[in-house]
Amino acid sequence: MVDFDAGTVTTIAERLFGEVGLPPAVAVTVAIDEATPMARAQIESIDPAVIGVEGGALENPKRIRQLSEARVVDVLGLLFHQLRDRLDPTFGAPPVGDELPLPHKVAWEVYAAGRVAALGYQAQRQRRLYHFRNRHGFTDAADAAFERLWTGRDLTWSEVAGLSDQAAAQATVTS
Amino acid sequence: MRRSLPVAELARDGRFEQASIMDRLTDPRAAVNVRKASAGTRRPALRAGQPGAPDAARSLMHGIFTGEIQALEGAGRTCWDFELGTGERQVPFALKLDMARQCWDEARHVEISVKLGEWMGTEIGEFAESTILYEAACNDDPILRLTGVNRALEGLAIDIFNTMREFGQATGDPVLEFCEDWMLADEVTHVKMGSDWLRRLTAHDPDRRDRALEFQKVVDKLFSYGGIRGDDDDSPVRLARRFRELAGFDTAEIDEIADLSRQAGRERAERVAARGRPPAVRSADVHPIGADLHSERMAR
Repeated sequence: MVDFDAGTVTTIAERLFGEVGLPPAVAVTVAIDEATPMARAQIESIDPAVIGVEGGALENPKRIRQLSEARVVDVLGLLFHQLRDRLDPTFGAPPVGDELPLPHKVAWEVYAAGRVAALGYQAQRQRRLYHFRNRHGFTDAADAAFERLWTGRDLTWSEVAGLSDQAAAQATVTS
Repeated sequence: MRRSLPVAELARDGRFEQASIMDRLTDPRAAVNVRKASAGTRRPALRAGQPGAPDAARSLMHGIFTGEIQALEGAGRTCWDFELGTGERQVPFALKLDMARQCWDEARHVEISVKLGEWMGTEIGEFAESTILYEAACNDDPILRLTGVNRALEGLAIDIFNTMREFGQATGDPVLEFCEDWMLADEVTHVKMGSDWLRRLTAHDPDRRDRALEFQKVVDKLFSYGGIRGDDDDSPVRLARRFRELAGFDTAEIDEIADLSRQAGRERAERVAARGRPPAVRSADVHPIGADLHSERMAR
């Protein structure tokens, strides 16, 4: 249904695996659902480590059903960082699945994407800022929290969630 | 200066890539979405609470941006392509003035859309461009152009801009809300211009008016994108009834557009069902140095 080359995905994933610093003993399965144009991507399980990706997340937005290497980096880079976080006992234990509130999820994505950017990859900072503002308000407080998450290193889950909560508390949304 | 510029000669730099709307409508992977919709689990992409909503808004905004470029090009062509006069392939001077006014508006919309793209973190050319709007503006009958572009496509713009405006309100985005509201006002004017000229130029030619309205129906149905634009609560793009009324649509016309959308959705579901189930699962095992990494292809 799509023209995705498993070899290209694997090559990028191998490189990111090393750059992110995942433990060498960890075996990671990247399961790509090519039958859907939707774009959900998440860590399905920790042990064994499984990342589930809907094909639309890796698709070239200019060429339908073609692979985008930039998107592979964006998706796997972010999720590998989050997997490393989950495997690190000093990080803490974020909730899983639907128990993870959306603002916290987005804040954690910012923290992960910022580290992808620090590796030298194009990580679409403004896009991540727009996502963050959507969940935490279009305020100076939200922008400041975003900056701390984007540039943060060795943060704990408690710190990530705390920054999210502080930013969201300043939001005023009219509906 | 030539008349009737073909779509293949539109001026675009290397950032832009064009895609056929039929590629997307006939995407075999759409089977999954349509089956989910049939099962009652379709969730609109542009609702603030949806996790993917910001990216859906970005993609839609880029579509608006390329649409505005084509609307500018289309209005400009309509201003130039026809001789002055009262014949079927001629137009009155006042119509050319209205098209010139529309060019002014659309150029401003292009600028606003570029700024909104920057605001949302989208690069120019990040997404493919569909040229269907300009193609609808290539008809050599000025009345069909106005019904196809000003009533059908600008009518769709009313629906989309209203959806984006509401999204901006729901997420507390003052920039998006304000800009979409600003552009929405212009689109109401453009649609009204189309409605008014249709009425005036076909006042003594009901057959021509019927042909024009039939063409409008074709465009309206195509631009419901297989039922994505509709009148139902779970329609990702909702028909903006009140703004369409301001633009000169009556209730019967709006109801017909809603029916066309449902029809398009049913037809799309039937096409997908006729294609059958996705192919069987294939898997590829890869063993890189230092880690066991498997990439599997799976179809749910």
